[in-house]
Amino acid sequence: MIKNGLKRFYLILIFILLYAPIVTLMVLSFNSSKSRSKWGGFTGKWYVALFQNQDIMNALYTTLIIALVSALVATIIGTAAAIGIQAMKPKFRTFMMGVTNIPMLNADIVTGISLMLLFIAFRFSLGFMTILLAHITFNIPYVILSVMPKLKQTSKHTYEAAMDLGASPVYAFFKVVFPDIMPGVFSGFLLAFTMSLDDFVITHFTKGPGVDTLSTKIYSEVRKGIKPEMYALSTIMFVTVLILLILVNVTPEKKASSSGQKQEIKKKHRISRFIFRKVVPTAIVIVIIAGGFFYGSQNSDAGNNQVIVYNWGEYIDPEVLTMFEEETGIDVVYEEFETNEIMYPKIQSGAIAYDVVCPSDYMVQRMIENDLLAEIDFNNIPNLKYIDSTYMEQSRQFDPENKYSVPYLFGTVGILYNKTMVDEPIDSWSVLWDPKYKDSILMQDSVRDAFGVTLKYLGYSLNSTDLDELNEAKNLLIKQKPLVQAYVVDQVRDKMIGNEAAIGVIYSGEALYTKQENPNLEYVIPKEGSNLWIDSWVIPKNAKHKENAEKFIDYLCRPEIAKMNFDYITYSIPNSEGRKLIEEDWMRESKVAFPDPEDLANCETFKFLGDDNDAVYNQLWREVKSK
Amino acid sequence: MKNRKLLTGPYLFWAASFIIIPLLMIVYYGLTNKEGSFTLMNLARITTPENLKALGLALLLSFISTLICLVLAYPLAMILSEKNVNQTSFIVLIFILPMWMNFLLRTLAWQNLLEKNGIINMILEFFHLPDQTLINTPYAIVLGMVYNFLPFMVLPIYNVLAKIDKDVISAARDLGANNFQTFSKIIFPLSIPGIISGITMVFVPSLTTFVISDLLGGSKILLIGNVIEQEFKQGSNWNVGSGLSLVLMIFIIASMALIAKYDKDGEGTAF
Repeated sequence: MIKNGLKRFYLILIFILLYAPIVTLMVLSFNSSKSRSKWGGFTGKWYVALFQNQDIMNALYTTLIIALVSALVATIIGTAAAIGIQAMKPKFRTFMMGVTNIPMLNADIVTGISLMLLFIAFRFSLGFMTILLAHITFNIPYVILSVMPKLKQTSKHTYEAAMDLGASPVYAFFKVVFPDIMPGVFSGFLLAFTMSLDDFVITHFTKGPGVDTLSTKIYSEVRKGIKPEMYALSTIMFVTVLILLILVNVTPEKKASSSGQKQEIKKKHRISRFIFRKVVPTAIVIVIIAGGFFYGSQNSDAGNNQVIVYNWGEYIDPEVLTMFEEETGIDVVYEEFETNEIMYPKIQSGAIAYDVVCPSDYMVQRMIENDLLAEIDFNNIPNLKYIDSTYMEQSRQFDPENKYSVPYLFGTVGILYNKTMVDEPIDSWSVLWDPKYKDSILMQDSVRDAFGVTLKYLGYSLNSTDLDELNEAKNLLIKQKPLVQAYVVDQVRDKMIGNEAAIGVIYSGEALYTKQENPNLEYVIPKEGSNLWIDSWVIPKNAKHKENAEKFIDYLCRPEIAKMNFDYITYSIPNSEGRKLIEEDWMRESKVAFPDPEDLANCETFKFLGDDNDAVYNQLWREVKSK
Repeated sequence: MKNRKLLTGPYLFWAASFIIIPLLMIVYYGLTNKEGSFTLMNLARITTPENLKALGLALLLSFISTLICLVLAYPLAMILSEKNVNQTSFIVLIFILPMWMNFLLRTLAWQNLLEKNGIINMILEFFHLPDQTLINTPYAIVLGMVYNFLPFMVLPIYNVLAKIDKDVISAARDLGANNFQTFSKIIFPLSIPGIISGITMVFVPSLTTFVISDLLGGSKILLIGNVIEQEFKQGSNWNVGSGLSLVLMIFIIASMALIAKYDKDGEGTAF
């Protein structure tokens, strides 16, 4: 009895380990605060919001259809392959199993990148199909590996006996072999389906514009904090599958244990298997096809009159896109990126012809230098007059003749601190090196931002290419490392709201939002100066719908549209008329969002320093990180 | 029998197009520089002190995680293999079902649990125990690895254990073997294929991960996966990234050789 108790205890422990994060996510789906680290009371509103969020529903649909189709194709190819491999000589068999093991053992990132290189080299345009091909590729091994053991257990003789009795090979296969390997085929399918559902890295590298699965959607949301609707959706999916499993499995188990007769158990199992194999998949198919009709009908009018937009994650009010579509009749295909560095190679490779892209200052310069951008016809952008001339002037640092870019949003990099956790007034970067705040400092996890801050603190330019200056900065960053709680990009926001840290380096746009959520937070641009950044709209040279792109940019320059975007993103707009429309005084007059020129006296804009200098920066940053 | 071999055709074609050729492209990128001429410099980049340290740390952490997974998984697999009725549904429940919640979300949820003001520390406070620093440490990364890859250790071991003929064990007992002897002389040796398969299935993904170390290590701890990811994403230097991936592939090939040696018949496959 003690032994059994121990066993049960052990199982429960493992169960807790595996389910603790899941329970956490379920709880979060009922949290009325948008922030992950704050409990704002119980609510069911995210479940309502979920079904109104077409982006998420589309992503869900794409995810399910890719999972289903890739699992089906993989099951067919994989089962056939397993049968073939089984019939091979041992030498070939070992070789084939070796090949099969590659995608399973290879790092996801290598598989993803190698497939992306393949698709680009063979001019496949990245999109739904490429994700599907990639998923089938990594799904086949799961099917083969589930079917193989079952095949080994089947006896060759029954198959041969069936043939001797006059059955055709195909008939014999389906009547004799197939029923035996069915459990393997089915578990292979289930695994493939699950793996496809859960994959992120490979999808990330093989997807194209306008296509999102839940994983890639979530990843782009990590930047600005996960939308609680995602927790709600995960909870629903999880609970649905759980209920299905319980329905299928629990009923036969009870009866089986009481009757105890083996035949009886087998029968029950057969019934449950039937439900599992036939009913569940059929239900899934029906749901997906129904969903497909529902959402397909909304997307079917995608004609040639479109504009392909490539923007930062969560960097526009979705309502604006809908309004633009309704007014102009132009379809917006919308795609998001997480960093300039991820965006750049996609534009450079030309794999996808984006029409309008929103890079940051130094990246605009790099794109101009590498001849990737088309000159914008400013006759088509009359609303440019609303853009404050200060920012057109600032843009000249990276676009010297104002020919290629239109400023969209801007901001500074500064220190966000929690008033209740610091003793002195904060006005200098030096606080980031104060041992008092050990483990309470959040540093930006990006090369240029981390070095920019340090170079400014040292009194150098943040575009320094002087090796001595850079080494000095590196040593200072190494000195700082023991004090840093974490290097993060977007999670500064959530962590500061949740009182996890006293001081964080953050973009000014986030400061307004965090202050709304946690009134103890203050933002300051340190006196040594900082980075003034501008994200601008540009049109790549290979754009296919240049006029539509210009219409799109012009639309975004309208004051009321700029104001809508400000309300949604809380990043500063260079649109002086738009700023006047902001209702709340403290926002409109906020020195954080719209700093006075004297606050910006020491601020600089990042410049592209060339590939070689980039490599130096990366190398030094790695030395910091590996200490 | 000839006909049956033909069934491998579609897969052969598929594997050649989408597994072999892409791998060759990585090899090509790894062995050339930006101008396209042959070089070994990309491979040599692994010997810089930071990269060696990242590799060493990745090896250490994935070794520890693999060990913990093995220690946790073996008894679990034994318990599961003893239960005869309906174990499949239980295994699905315990290992497959969590995957229906997105991997990124699950790992993010660990942040909530481990944070300074997180749930675990709240529980500790409730019992008047001292707070623990959990997040952003190597321990958190190990936990993340164990959490994410444990199923890949349990399933292969379970599969071999479930296949062991019960008569063999009875025979051992009839011949006077005690519990320990039965285990060390019969059960354990028979389960080696599963163990080896499990070890590689946990070790390789732990070695190459970058998401877990990013999310749970606060990006303070640089593993070789992070280095490669940064080469591809931040540095946009695909050649160096491919070169480093090739170095990693040595470990993958070694794992495959290990499987081929100890698990000739593919008994220890995970599923």
